[in-house]
Amino acid sequence: MIDPSHGGEEVGAALPAKMQEKDLTLTLARELRRQLEERGVHARLLREADIDLSLERRAEAANQEHPWLYIALHAGLPGKGVRVYWPAMTSQQSSQAAMIPRWESAQSAVSGKSRAFANAVANQIRKGGVSTSLLTAPLRPLNNVLAPAIAIEWAPSPADLKPAQTDKAGAGLTSAVASAIAQLRGSIGARP
Amino acid sequence: MIPRHFQITLALLLLAILISGVYLVHLKRREEALNTAAAPARVMAPPAGKHEHIRVLLAYDDDLALRWRDADVLLPNERRARAKEVLRAVLAQYLQSPSPHPLGYGADIKEVYLLDDKTLVVDANAQFAAGHPSGIVLEQLTLTSLIETLAANVPDIAKVKFLVDGQERETLAGHVDLTPFYETAVVHEMAREFE
Repeated sequence: MIDPSHGGEEVGAALPAKMQEKDLTLTLARELRRQLEERGVHARLLREADIDLSLERRAEAANQEHPWLYIALHAGLPGKGVRVYWPAMTSQQSSQAAMIPRWESAQSAVSGKSRAFANAVANQIRKGGVSTSLLTAPLRPLNNVLAPAIAIEWAPSPADLKPAQTDKAGAGLTSAVASAIAQLRGSIGARP
Repeated sequence: MIPRHFQITLALLLLAILISGVYLVHLKRREEALNTAAAPARVMAPPAGKHEHIRVLLAYDDDLALRWRDADVLLPNERRARAKEVLRAVLAQYLQSPSPHPLGYGADIKEVYLLDDKTLVVDANAQFAAGHPSGIVLEQLTLTSLIETLAANVPDIAKVKFLVDGQERETLAGHVDLTPFYETAVVHEMAREFE
């Protein structure tokens, strides 16, 4: 499940070249889906157009689909390169033992998988020569998702967002992410 | 002998000048009152306390790092008021120019509440969130910097929650979760990624 973050009136971060985060995440999401399909991995987008979608609705839609992986795509400043996140729990208490997971910490039961997956994706992107950081952050709606979940934030340079360059730069990133997912899907017991 | 109609005209003119004068004074006073109301709130000194040398954890956007810095702050003795002034000391660093981590103009802490000895609720003003730059790492640096500085300077605070203008808010500026009670021990681990 690929979530192009933001949308509609929720524009996200302001990027160079007057681009808005919500538009760039949708472009990246479409390209990532194409790259995954080429590698035989089925992928769905959580939104296909510029629409408002609440954080609760995003988590609910993802949980209803029972995906083997949820990826939230972001784009933001400052810096350059890619930041890969796994969800940070804001409390040391885990809902792992609970029969019905708590909404605010639904992720805690699979946070180890999320962390391993974020690490693998970050390593794969680094192999492509892209500056990549591995971080943890308390992000919505990742903490409400029952499946392993990661967020990928692209910090594009102004040159990356020139009309002729955006597709190329975005394709380089999504290709590395798609390769990582294709390589790792077996190791987390996922269906293709 | 001045004709009667000239006398009446002169009297009317004098009366008009008098009324205009009174009205101008009224307008001037109203403008002064409006200007006073629109002016930014003055920073009030804490009711009692002393200058203390404290450490604040500041965010630096240039290299996405958190670094401890020294600050001299007039701090009250009472814990709740002390927590508020500690947080404002961090915001003051971000609101100066040039800023290591710019926030929106007018960002401030409205009030701080102690739910119990270990749990603090911070009520930031609307500008704090409305003017905050959107982005995962920028929002995370702000929260981590504030909570870590609180934990370092207000003993025994274990949980911190943020409100904005008295209301719960889903995210700070579209990314980082603002709904939970953050455990300071967990935030301490997060901060290590940036130190």
